Amino acid sequence: MKRIGLGGITGNPGAFAIVLGLMVLLLAVPLTHNGYVETVFRNILMYAAMAYGWNLIGGYTGYVSFGNVAFFGLGAYCSGVLAAHGVSNLFAYVALAMVVCAVFAVIVGFPVLRLKGHYFGIATLGVALAVADIIANLDVLGGSSGLAMHQLDEAHFSTYYYAMWLVALGSMLGTYFIARSKLGYAFVAIRENEDAAAVLGIAATRYKIIAWAISGMMAGSAGAIFAPANGFIDPSITFAVDSNVFPIVMTILGGSGTVAGPFIGSLLLAGANELLQRFFVKAHTLFFGAMIVLIVLLLPRGLVWLFGLRGGVRAWIKSVQVYRA
Amino acid sequence: MHLLAQDLVNGILAGGILAVVALGFSLVWGIMNIINLAHGAFVMLGAYTTYQLFTSFHVDPFVSLPISFVLLFVLGYLIQRLLMNWIARAPLLTTFLFTFGLSLLVVNIALIVWSGDTRGVTTAYSGANFTLGDVTVPWAKLYTLLAALAITGTMQLWLVRSKTGRAIRATSMDIGAAQLSGVRVTEIYAIVFGLGAGLAGVAGTLISLSYSLHPTMGDLFLIKAFVVCVLGGLGSVQGALIGGLVYGIVEAFATQLDFTIGTQHISGSGLQDAIALIVLLIVLIVRPRGIMGKATA
Amino acid sequence: MSAAVESSVALRITDVGMRFGGLWALSEVTFDVVRGSVVGLIGPNGSGKTTLMNVISGVYKPTTGEVTYAGKRIADVPTHDVCHLGIARTFQIVKPFASLSVRENVAVGAMYGREGAKRSTRASFERAQELLEVVGLARVAERPASDLTIPDRKRLEVAKALALDPDVLLLDEVMAGLNATEVEEALELLRDVNKRGVTLIVVEHLMKAIVSISTTVVVLAEGRKIAQGAPSDVLASQQVIEAYLGSRWVKRQEQLAEIEAEREQAKRVQPPQAGA
Repeated sequence: MKRIGLGGITGNPGAFAIVLGLMVLLLAVPLTHNGYVETVFRNILMYAAMAYGWNLIGGYTGYVSFGNVAFFGLGAYCSGVLAAHGVSNLFAYVALAMVVCAVFAVIVGFPVLRLKGHYFGIATLGVALAVADIIANLDVLGGSSGLAMHQLDEAHFSTYYYAMWLVALGSMLGTYFIARSKLGYAFVAIRENEDAAAVLGIAATRYKIIAWAISGMMAGSAGAIFAPANGFIDPSITFAVDSNVFPIVMTILGGSGTVAGPFIGSLLLAGANELLQRFFVKAHTLFFGAMIVLIVLLLPRGLVWLFGLRGGVRAWIKSVQVYRA
Repeated sequence: MHLLAQDLVNGILAGGILAVVALGFSLVWGIMNIINLAHGAFVMLGAYTTYQLFTSFHVDPFVSLPISFVLLFVLGYLIQRLLMNWIARAPLLTTFLFTFGLSLLVVNIALIVWSGDTRGVTTAYSGANFTLGDVTVPWAKLYTLLAALAITGTMQLWLVRSKTGRAIRATSMDIGAAQLSGVRVTEIYAIVFGLGAGLAGVAGTLISLSYSLHPTMGDLFLIKAFVVCVLGGLGSVQGALIGGLVYGIVEAFATQLDFTIGTQHISGSGLQDAIALIVLLIVLIVRPRGIMGKATA
Repeated sequence: MSAAVESSVALRITDVGMRFGGLWALSEVTFDVVRGSVVGLIGPNGSGKTTLMNVISGVYKPTTGEVTYAGKRIADVPTHDVCHLGIARTFQIVKPFASLSVRENVAVGAMYGREGAKRSTRASFERAQELLEVVGLARVAERPASDLTIPDRKRLEVAKALALDPDVLLLDEVMAGLNATEVEEALELLRDVNKRGVTLIVVEHLMKAIVSISTTVVVLAEGRKIAQGAPSDVLASQQVIEAYLGSRWVKRQEQLAEIEAEREQAKRVQPPQAGA
């Protein structure tokens, strides 16, 4: 089977250029002075940051995590705790979230990253659910009723937008430079064949933990900005199934293990989800489910992969048939 | 002391149902290497099938067992035959995502058909129970346990004795060799996925007798099925049964935890998931192949 | 005198035994590998050659005995640090990183191997390109590794191992499946590598190749070392031929020769039918 449109370790360079251009355009969103539009795009940026986080461990390193929402939630609660102590600096929120998430990733990573395949996925899902459950039972963190956060006044509403834009940009550029560095090659080598990677001198456990920690820092930063922007956090919002699964679906749709993929996926899916919610109040999740089913069947390798496709419809049909039983 | 015995009995009674929930999930996972995230949704469909038959036609839940099985089997068979066989050889994540999408689809159709209201199946024998010493046993749950044992026993016999059962086991051991000896893998996959769905339907019917119904009820059972599979090891009927019983008992005891650290009150019933998942993590790390698991993967 | 001998030993294999369940895949294997030499490791299928390679490269920990390299027990070193000691290997079943290009595959070795910490990403790629030229893969450097033919994958394995800058290189059937010319090229390459001071341990089925390259041959049969010495001496010994190939093999060779001769005769008598 030929791999078409390989495009190097960062994925198709054309796709990356387009994505960078789109990011610059997104800086203009607050100029609309429309709170709704701004929130929609801020959510897109938030999902993008989380998708980049997932892409690093799931896409590049090949360890499919179902627990990255734990980092998002932890990040949000870092902001919540800081806010309760009178801190309102967004940089402080993000910094604390990154430290906490990295430490958490290292501690949990040692046992969990020894597991492979489905077992790793389930264990990480367990981690996420357990963290949510524990926070919901901790009175200091407001338990299941959550924490209210002081929101900036109307005039400064866009601050959150720009902060989220920075987090998303940081995640994207971070991914780009990591992928091209020695680190990126260690991740991909582990994904392709962990034993062969070890023979080449790669200490797999160390690099898996690094990948997971950076992944967690990206998701945690998104959570740290989400909390004050939303003005309120509780376990069900911050550990939502959506926040866990959307970034994964987005990365796959866009193209996992590429730099452009997570952003393209977030833009399309978060956008589509928003539109579906507007027009089909009741059935939007149904359409969302149908969409995932179709994407998986028709684009098993993601959209970025289409950029490198040569041979038109016939090549595409072939690509769909590759995985047939 | 009597509490201990009661917890144990409750655990065993709940564990029987969990065994059936996990059985179909375990077969699909073990034989096809697919984590079916729609398994919980199938369980829900089975429960609602029973509910609908009971409320509309007064069909006793135990009578609707085979009906749930057949309906869900056909659904699962068709999904695998028409859709999932296209991605059978795709990486793990692809099928994972597919079944996630499928689950969203099914749950939301159910929300439209049956609404988000909580429902229940209340039969004449629903409230009845008997006592054994200090231990109370609800009749419905006892019947459920017996049905669960009968179902797992039948499954085991069928897998070992029947021609199809043998073909399924051959496929799970070595797909290439099975193909060479004339097994039609696409057909076997469809049957296995149908079977997984059918067993989920049966589990749903059993669940409807003791739990309340909601379109999203499957999520919790999906996670429990995971834990049971990991506890018992993949793809084996005995594994699902033993894993189910062990998990049921652990959960029954864990929910009784109740203590206070400083000002923080900790109650096991609130931390049900966390405790179960911590147990899961420990088992995963200590015995990644499960209590009953074979040494090879 | 003895100190000089000591320092010339690269690998010391002492009383190595390896048990899988009830089966001893290796037992009481002892020999030294002299620095700069080429050791040919031969033996029938299942004689324990690959198992020994796995023990030497630290993939398996031996049940008894030990392998030491520069005084260090290999079994105490994690797999990912074995190459940092200066030992590299290829796999009989090739393991390229399928989605990476051929050059990237080699570069990963250059990045994380013995000299890796000193190399920048760019330097690693330059080193990879040099090695691809050495093994003759420069023409496909940009292609995904999954596109390579089997002989090319074997070459890639060698390049990856060389990228680790080893002192000792273990080669597990890198010539299997190559045609005569390709075998010649491969031998040329290995001689060249050896000339640069790399000690080689070669597992190969092709007797000709082993004889032409090895300075020492070690023969394994049923997990035991049955002979060791200069290639011509070892292979000339009737005992080795019988043990290695089995007396049945010798008989069979004779029978085959007879059948061959009969066929030849039959061909001459009956000309092939036209249009058949």
